[in-house]
Amino acid sequence: MKYNCIKRLGLTATIIFGVANAGAVYAQTADELKNDTSDPSSILTYGMGYGQQRHSSLDMVNADNVGKLAPAWAYSLADTRGQESFPMLYDGVMYVTTHNSTVALDAVTGRQIWKSVIEYPAETPRVACCGIVNRGSAIYGGRLFRTTLDAHVIALDMETGEEVWRTKSIDYKAGYSMTVAPTIADGVLITGISGGEYGIRGYLEGYDPDTGERLWRTYTVPAPGEPGSETWKDGGDAWQRGGGPTWLTGSYDPELNTVYWGTGNAASWNAGLRPGDNLYTSTILALEPKTGAIKWHYQTSPNDPFDYDATNELVLATIDGRKVIMQANRNGFFYVLDRTNGELLAAPQFIDKVNWATGIDLATGRPMDTEVATKARTGEQVTYYPSAFGGKNWSPMAYNPDSNTVFINTFKDVGMQYKAVEPQYRPGVFYFGAEFAWAWPEGDRGELRAIDPMTGDVKWADSSALPRLAGVLSTAGNLVFTGGQTGEFEAFNAETGEALWSFNTGSGIVGQPVTWEKDGKQYVTVVNGAGAVYALFSGDERLATVPPGGNVWTFALVE
Amino acid sequence: MLIRLAASLCFLALFGAPVFAEDFDLTKAKRTYKDFCSHCHGIDMVNPGTSSYDLRKFPADQKDRFYTSVNKGRGDMPAWGDILLPDELDLLWKYVVTRGGKEPLPKEEAAVPATDTDQTQQHGSLTTKPGTLTACLAKNGGVMSSRRAKGGAGLDYALVTALADQMGLALEVEWFESEQEEESTPIRELYALLAYNVCDVMPGFALYETSLSAFYKTRAALPRYDNKPAHLGPEFQVDLEPISVSDPYARMEMGVVYRTPEFEREITQIADMEGLKIGVEQGTLAGVLTLRQGTSKMVADSITANPGPDFLWKMEQGAFDAALVTVGAYDFHKKQNFVSTLALDEYRHPIGFNLSVAMLKSRRDLLDQIDPTINAMIADGRMAALAKKNKVTFSSPKEPWVQSNLTMEDILLRR
Repeated sequence: MKYNCIKRLGLTATIIFGVANAGAVYAQTADELKNDTSDPSSILTYGMGYGQQRHSSLDMVNADNVGKLAPAWAYSLADTRGQESFPMLYDGVMYVTTHNSTVALDAVTGRQIWKSVIEYPAETPRVACCGIVNRGSAIYGGRLFRTTLDAHVIALDMETGEEVWRTKSIDYKAGYSMTVAPTIADGVLITGISGGEYGIRGYLEGYDPDTGERLWRTYTVPAPGEPGSETWKDGGDAWQRGGGPTWLTGSYDPELNTVYWGTGNAASWNAGLRPGDNLYTSTILALEPKTGAIKWHYQTSPNDPFDYDATNELVLATIDGRKVIMQANRNGFFYVLDRTNGELLAAPQFIDKVNWATGIDLATGRPMDTEVATKARTGEQVTYYPSAFGGKNWSPMAYNPDSNTVFINTFKDVGMQYKAVEPQYRPGVFYFGAEFAWAWPEGDRGELRAIDPMTGDVKWADSSALPRLAGVLSTAGNLVFTGGQTGEFEAFNAETGEALWSFNTGSGIVGQPVTWEKDGKQYVTVVNGAGAVYALFSGDERLATVPPGGNVWTFALVE
Repeated sequence: MLIRLAASLCFLALFGAPVFAEDFDLTKAKRTYKDFCSHCHGIDMVNPGTSSYDLRKFPADQKDRFYTSVNKGRGDMPAWGDILLPDELDLLWKYVVTRGGKEPLPKEEAAVPATDTDQTQQHGSLTTKPGTLTACLAKNGGVMSSRRAKGGAGLDYALVTALADQMGLALEVEWFESEQEEESTPIRELYALLAYNVCDVMPGFALYETSLSAFYKTRAALPRYDNKPAHLGPEFQVDLEPISVSDPYARMEMGVVYRTPEFEREITQIADMEGLKIGVEQGTLAGVLTLRQGTSKMVADSITANPGPDFLWKMEQGAFDAALVTVGAYDFHKKQNFVSTLALDEYRHPIGFNLSVAMLKSRRDLLDQIDPTINAMIADGRMAALAKKNKVTFSSPKEPWVQSNLTMEDILLRR
């Protein structure tokens, strides 16, 4: 595709910010990426560190003074889709993505440095199940890497926004799309794919960041004869449309040189048509970044009928001296694995209502299914908990390593009426294989929870009428930040859960808060813009008075 | 009318009547909305906080605008014209205009009642294309239908031409290729073509009890047809729908074909062929009847051969002397081979199938014109004349009109 859509503010702006950035070196080294957490003046990796803890050592803004937090600037993204982008920050420049643009902003003033527009075929939104969104970028060696809705991977020059290379991953018409923020691991650009509701065959890919050449592709559903194919016992071609998308960014442990990536649900939802465990769907994968080879796998929902993706972020931590990986899974259980070998260490239930399994057997690592699960697989109508939204949806949690506490936006008592039906495959059209409707609770539908990862014990909780779909941010200032779908950007006391501060940003928040420091001053940034999965799929009329429209909001203490 | 009633009763008894049967299928409309629209316009058309159009407010009197926007796209909305089927678009419109089935259809959208005075309007509501009767015919349908550079040939082609003529409609034929495979039988192809709205009517439907009911609520693949959209691969399957059938217009029977030099006897049953070298058409009803109703000596000396045009050609070449086959197969052989030593005996096996014209149940009002036309054509000899012109050995329909399921007893004893 012919492509050249760089827009600039004009000569004046270029000169001004050219000066402001004089001497900047647009080259993020591998070491800088590894040490992202130790330098609060930059945000170089999705999730604020390869371990995606979303915890900052900054404490200038803290539980005592957060009441004086106020907007420093806002920048209009000129877009009415849901905004889920994770902002990147390097050398005073902030990088934010939407589905149709990438922008570079002066981080202190919010002024635009460049805006690079993305074009994709008008038919692409057909294959975006859950919102026309983009979740962010990777930066490395002076380049910004991102994916496009029509399944291309592109590299932009961080200084100018000009496109350096563009590689097509796959034809979007068959139901594939990309919303994921890619990542860099061991010098390889790694990306995933969306389309679990369209009968795709999921995969992960490694690209050469210099040239855009594809180095490897690892399918998350094996072809007949490949390892794992014995878990597809239908004897037919279910594997070809078997799902296993990889739509959220994985984590990376540079010491073990291992990438961890979660895969989504098997397709169609009708599990009775694909007997067997259906590897590697709903699975946590450990991979070799240079080759994409699978080192180990742990499946959270074998033969899943419920859309229980295991795509949720994989948070790396050290607990009781062990290197672990943590995931608040859609299926209602909080998994703690030894990340050197995939051994299951703990799997407490992290929400109140789960009825598809009585627990996870720590010896076998398998869920102990109830009648609800077995009936669902044989085509009977069931009401299951948690719903396809999950105990937690995609919006990432935060982990404070000092207090060993995880802060999670959960869905509260939301279930689903469900019946498997025969799916009909048409390329690029929903391939559910199930009839479903939500089973809502009478009261609040969401709850921000502070939990102990090993036990699931709830330290505090703050329930909300509408579930929160924003990411969570933890800081050493004893604060937890998140946002509401009705637009409030909120701060809580991390110890007690007391609501300390809130600001109405004017549109719902489903984005990912970050914090950073510049010239001795702490800033907090979040992208707002209502929309995406809950707004589209819930039919919740209470969101009717919340307007769409994305902005980048940055806050600082009033001096 | 009797068959139509019987078929309708059968469906009612098996599956119950849909809630909005006379207006539209709400369940299917909901599913269509979910599959194509919900991820932008929201479940139940509620899309709070996003920028997509609130379909609950779509003006009920702007149908054209709806069709144009959906087909061609509008603003941020992608075009769906290349992927949505016409009946799916109609369902979506009805879903939207009834606010998801909560309100009745506006008057002009409800089924238009037939009136004697307004024929045009009636036709418009009964066929896919106003003013046109579309028929699906097999390209490879032997003496019943075959494609020609202009139009077609065969009794079925002649029949639909006469029907369209009588109804004052133009005729359009969708030619398909019947594929005899394990997964696809002619009857499933017929259901699939009708359910996919490829055509209004399909002649050649053999009135067999199972065929009238067994396929509803299952799926079937579409055969290849001339205007099949390229994006529909061979794996694409259609949700089948109930059908209605016309009064029968002809009868498909089995008879004994023999090589003239070797044949001098009167046949009243299959066993009368004893002493001749008998061919058995493998995998067909005629073959099974030959084996079950022939004498043991006959069967022991028989020769089994594959079905299809080659079967009678083998006989032409002298591989065997006589065989029970469908009369249509004989007609086709004679048409293809001007010089032939084969002849058809007057004997007909008592098991036969009446042929009728099939259509979706939702188009059964077409029968008000089709049935009288067919009956008149049989009564005044036009049907027989058309058959003769098309080299079809004609048999009038016989009672019972619908052949009940064949049992082992039938196979052994009906001779």
